[in-house]
Amino acid sequence: MEQIARAAALLGAGICMGIGALGPGVGEGFVAGKACEGIARSPENASLITRTMLVGQAVSESTGIYSLVIALLLIFST
Amino acid sequence: MTVTTEILQIASYLGAGISVGIASLSAGIGEGYTAGHTAHSFMRQPKAGDSLVNSMLVSQAVTETGAIFALVIALLLIFGGFTDPAGGWFKAAALLSAGIAVGVGSVGPGFGSGYSGGQASKAIGRMPKQNNAITGNMLIGQALAQAGSIFALVVSLLLLYSTPNQPANATLGEVILKCAAFLGGGLAIGIGTMGPGAAIGFVAGRANDMIGRFPKERASIIKTMFLGAAVSESTAIYSLVIAFLLIFAI
Repeated sequence: MEQIARAAALLGAGICMGIGALGPGVGEGFVAGKACEGIARSPENASLITRTMLVGQAVSESTGIYSLVIALLLIFST
Repeated sequence: MTVTTEILQIASYLGAGISVGIASLSAGIGEGYTAGHTAHSFMRQPKAGDSLVNSMLVSQAVTETGAIFALVIALLLIFGGFTDPAGGWFKAAALLSAGIAVGVGSVGPGFGSGYSGGQASKAIGRMPKQNNAITGNMLIGQALAQAGSIFALVVSLLLLYSTPNQPANATLGEVILKCAAFLGGGLAIGIGTMGPGAAIGFVAGRANDMIGRFPKERASIIKTMFLGAAVSESTAIYSLVIAFLLIFAI
């Protein structure tokens, strides 16, 4: 019974990291795509746009890191 | 319950079907998107016909990559001779998981590469003189987007060839544990590359479009594209790490 619970935890870790990577990936790419557009249209604000892009991506990344942490917890501490 | 040749065949055939079926879906949509934009650009700039067709064909070839990987894995699953019952349930789970990994893992890169190619055709239609700059940037972007399908191919091949056979004295619990770990690894890399693949394609597509409109800003657009694509790729790398841990560290 214990091993079935652990098996569920391992399957859960895979699903968690897989689906958890979907959102941040799409979100960060959208930010970067729009940043390319912004820099092309107003090149004088390039550094401001790059900074905003990186801050936005860092925030989007957080849920990806939560998934990573939960997946590692499921693998190593169950 | 012991494993027979038939059970391994069932797992292989299921894996092969899942892999090619799902991978073809996004490659088809992506290539159609590129061809549609090429036809539209043809209407706007009939004189740019040759460069449009060249760019479209190159783009479609790169977009096809994920589907070709899936086809290779499917052929290996069907004809690779993974039917030795000594492999046991471990091997059955690994075969099914290999198909899921490469099939689902090719979805995002297929959409992304197709978007990038479509935007490149649109941009060439608007600015035929920038043909080389746009096609070059399109190829860089598509190569970055395809990284996800390459990760999926690597995990899939490792599942096929580097997973252990089931030991004769394995208990039911151990079997369930290992099968769940293999399936989890395949799902992690498969679903995990969907987002980053599609997103990097979006970045490359926007960059292509903007290089067509503002050719002078090319250097800073490409710099931002690389930076943004690298950050987007990070979650695919987390998925790869989790997949390796599940396959080899359990």
